[in-house]
Amino acid sequence: MSQADIDKAMDTPTTITFWAWAPDMQKEVDLFEAKYPKINVELVNTSSGTQQYPKLRAALKAGKGAPDVAQVEYQYIPSFRQTGSLADLTPYGAAEAKDDFVDWIWNQVADDKGVWAVPQDSGPLGNLYRSDIFAQAGVSAPETWADYAAVAATIKEKTGSYIADLPGNDPGQMVGFFWQAGAKPFGYDGDKTVKIDLDSPATQKVVSFWQDLVKKDLVATDADFNDEWYQGLAQGKYASWQVAAWGPIFLQGTAKNTSGKWTAAKIPQWEAGQDVSGNWGGSTTAVMESSPNKIAAYEFAKFINTDSEAALTLANEQFLFPTTKATLSDPKFVDQASEFYGGQKVNEFFAGVSDTVDKNFQWLPFMDFVYSSYNETLGKAISEKGDMTGGLAAWDAAVTDYAKQQGFTVE
Amino acid sequence: MTSASPARRARLGSAQTRAAWILVIPFVAVFAAMFLVPLGYSAYLSTFTSQLVGGQVFSGLANYQRALGDPSFWAGLSRVAIFLVVQVPIMLVASLFFALALDSGRMCGGKVVRLLIFLPYAVPSVVATLMWGYLYGENFGLITQIFTGLGLPAPELLAPGAILGSTMNIVCWEFIGYNMIIMYAALRTIPTELYEAAAIDGAGEFRVAWSIKIPAIRQAIILTVIFSIIGSFQLFNEPNLLFNIAPNAIGSDFTPNLYAYNLAFKNQDVNYAAAIAFLLGMVIVVLSVIVQGIVNRKEKTS
Amino acid sequence: MTEAIVRPGRKPLKRRPLGTHRPTRGGTLLTVFVWICVVYFVVPLVWLVIASTKDNTGLFTTFGLWFGQGFHLFDNLADVFSKDGGVFSQWMVNTVLYAVTSAVGATVLATACGFALAKYRFRGSSVVFWLVIGSIMVPMTALAIPTYLLFSSMNLTDTPWAIILPSLVSPFGVYLMRVYAADSVDDSLLEAARIDGSGELRTFATIGVRLLVPGMVTVLLFQLVATWNNYFLPLIMLNTPSLYPVTVGLAGWQAAASSGGGAQVLFSTVLTGSLVSIVPLIVAFLFLQRYWQSGLAAGSVKG
Repeated sequence: MSQADIDKAMDTPTTITFWAWAPDMQKEVDLFEAKYPKINVELVNTSSGTQQYPKLRAALKAGKGAPDVAQVEYQYIPSFRQTGSLADLTPYGAAEAKDDFVDWIWNQVADDKGVWAVPQDSGPLGNLYRSDIFAQAGVSAPETWADYAAVAATIKEKTGSYIADLPGNDPGQMVGFFWQAGAKPFGYDGDKTVKIDLDSPATQKVVSFWQDLVKKDLVATDADFNDEWYQGLAQGKYASWQVAAWGPIFLQGTAKNTSGKWTAAKIPQWEAGQDVSGNWGGSTTAVMESSPNKIAAYEFAKFINTDSEAALTLANEQFLFPTTKATLSDPKFVDQASEFYGGQKVNEFFAGVSDTVDKNFQWLPFMDFVYSSYNETLGKAISEKGDMTGGLAAWDAAVTDYAKQQGFTVE
Repeated sequence: MTSASPARRARLGSAQTRAAWILVIPFVAVFAAMFLVPLGYSAYLSTFTSQLVGGQVFSGLANYQRALGDPSFWAGLSRVAIFLVVQVPIMLVASLFFALALDSGRMCGGKVVRLLIFLPYAVPSVVATLMWGYLYGENFGLITQIFTGLGLPAPELLAPGAILGSTMNIVCWEFIGYNMIIMYAALRTIPTELYEAAAIDGAGEFRVAWSIKIPAIRQAIILTVIFSIIGSFQLFNEPNLLFNIAPNAIGSDFTPNLYAYNLAFKNQDVNYAAAIAFLLGMVIVVLSVIVQGIVNRKEKTS
Repeated sequence: MTEAIVRPGRKPLKRRPLGTHRPTRGGTLLTVFVWICVVYFVVPLVWLVIASTKDNTGLFTTFGLWFGQGFHLFDNLADVFSKDGGVFSQWMVNTVLYAVTSAVGATVLATACGFALAKYRFRGSSVVFWLVIGSIMVPMTALAIPTYLLFSSMNLTDTPWAIILPSLVSPFGVYLMRVYAADSVDDSLLEAARIDGSGELRTFATIGVRLLVPGMVTVLLFQLVATWNNYFLPLIMLNTPSLYPVTVGLAGWQAAASSGGGAQVLFSTVLTGSLVSIVPLIVAFLFLQRYWQSGLAAGSVKG
């Protein structure tokens, strides 16, 4: 693919379809269309990932109706690769973008076989806590998980609040905790071989830690992201939330009354003196193999995520935490003092956290099943305050069975 | 023109047959395209097994064998069976009671009552579930607010043990009025001479309801029973939407329909989903036939 | 279902008019009890109306059956109609379009078929009838998934046809019209028309249809409600938000709050949208109440 080919493609009237659920993506689309007036981008807002993926898969399977470009979360890239749905972007010059992105994020979208998507945003894990409740209990942000357990007891005793909520319906957060603990639960070679190690010493360490807090009634086990849970946050039922950089988006809508009372801190460490984090969430912009306009599609994906204005808009107006080194060090991003955090320069803080995320973390090519079976195994054990280590083993078994049944070689 | 010759009558017969087919064909054509073809295709799909690795291979009845040994399928089936045994009688008895109350003519504001009880049927199940979901909320829902206000412990209506009952309540709320209207409409067609005789004998309202009205609308009641059976086994919208607020209480296999949907769209196992849906269809047909059989036997003996 | 239901019944002779209220002690008790029950049916809707006047914070911090601080109904309505480029009004238009088209189409097909099954004995009529009856029992997932696959191979998914075509089939409508026609169209009328030399189809179009109107309205309303409430079919068939009916759209907004990767929280918007979405049907019910009665009375209940 020479530059001449690309220029010619970008100067030919073309319409590409873009599926995404992140709000207000029209802003980036407009910037792109202003630069490339011949290319028309049809943006389809799909509401949410859970609604988009089944439709996307069905359309890909039917061979009709799939978009040219779609928002895809990191953990689902392998499953779309496995079905041959993602275009390898190497021929379009994607490999050159490697140094634009943070290392661990690049490892999420590329391997030795190709480049499968352009990173959009990420979710390095931190600890958002209510400074007012912590002050009332006379505690400061915990440095280690052992401190966290002690602080939890104090907060419960002095204020009646739970230190946090551990939802039984959010495998993404749990896997983020695994990631931070150095676990490597999944592996995929891009073909037929998978590695499943959900029930390992590292994951058991995480699960028994939470099991202990649940048993002592120091963390709540409410499902997250529903109205009840939002209200729990708004009314101080939970004093903190171990969440990614995108957390405040959710708080600003329903917990407006808590604005200014939040502080971002590092996620507690397993060993004193360590400084590691995990990731929860974030998406990429992926080009479909079925697209007849791959050049324009890739140029679009590249533009909205790396063009300085578009990337800054994503970061500052849509609160999607950036993945390019340029944006992460751009004063227009890092110097923002956030009212919600009582004036804390929270972007700068999370940019620092992003550097501490473990670089090598893989996914399975069927995360839909992995996550839905979580709800019925470990997640169920959490919400019922039951045997969580048993739930972890059951989860591992369910995933392993499914992998074998689908014809994968399980290592 | 007083009588037609035999030849003409035969021609008439063929003209009638032609007319009949002209009237029937449009429906039958759409019915075949939208119903029989997909059904056949579904049957065909259910005899294959597909894997993410290796694709689709013919496997005969293997999917059915797998379904019969699948605890998720049986769990879903047993849940809708409980639904059938508990929710359907409660709903239909309530509908019958309201229909009789309206028909007795002894109520103030009968017309308004009729409309208000029927109103929930106009609410799409999506909206009904959304609304009840808020009312059930464990910390801030209306029911909790009322209980807390009265100083009582609030019921956990979205807990795994209670979610089936909570679903039943939503379905009752939606359909009591609808079934009431069917029964009430039937009651209005009972000729009054039946009552006049009873009134002369000095029978009370309950006596009349029990021995005259209910037998007279037996067919309408059977109709509502059959539709309710079909409805319970096809339960999908309510649990699918409740999943958003009670994800751990409602698993992916809460009802057979939900299970088939999740198999097809989340596990990407369309073939197995087709087999599950087929088995469910067979269960419904068998049950409906049994109900019919019981009714018919009763009719013959009575 | 059985031949027994299909037996024409007697015409009602005279009935006590509704509303002749004889005050008795039992009547008062009954009135009080039934009105208490009515509260159960009405409270959720009252709650919905009140909830539509609150903002997200007020929704949870104030008592559900009383107004919160400030009156946000108009803000919420503005949100509903402006969110995502005003797509909500499009959803309402789509819902009406799908529901009306499907209901009218289904009624026409069901009336013609039901009339023929009732009034003509022809070879194959009982096969058609039992197929129709049997089809009522097939679970929708058995059909939805293959229908989806078939439609996508014909390029019909993500078009209005994907919703309208399957909704044209109303087996219950055929059943109801068959019963209704058997009951309300007298054979002697048809015979008289034949003797006058009127063609069969003309007889149906002139005499039959006129007599069948109440039954047709019932089928129309049934199908209208069924399509209006349809969620499963459009959920899997449609990808483009501008084609959604209001049920799928609202459920999508509700789900948007719980998706990762940047989303927004729209509780008050979703609730106000829900309220707006049920108003048209409730109005339709108020106006068409009378018809349900007569159609159902003839259709469901001959014993």
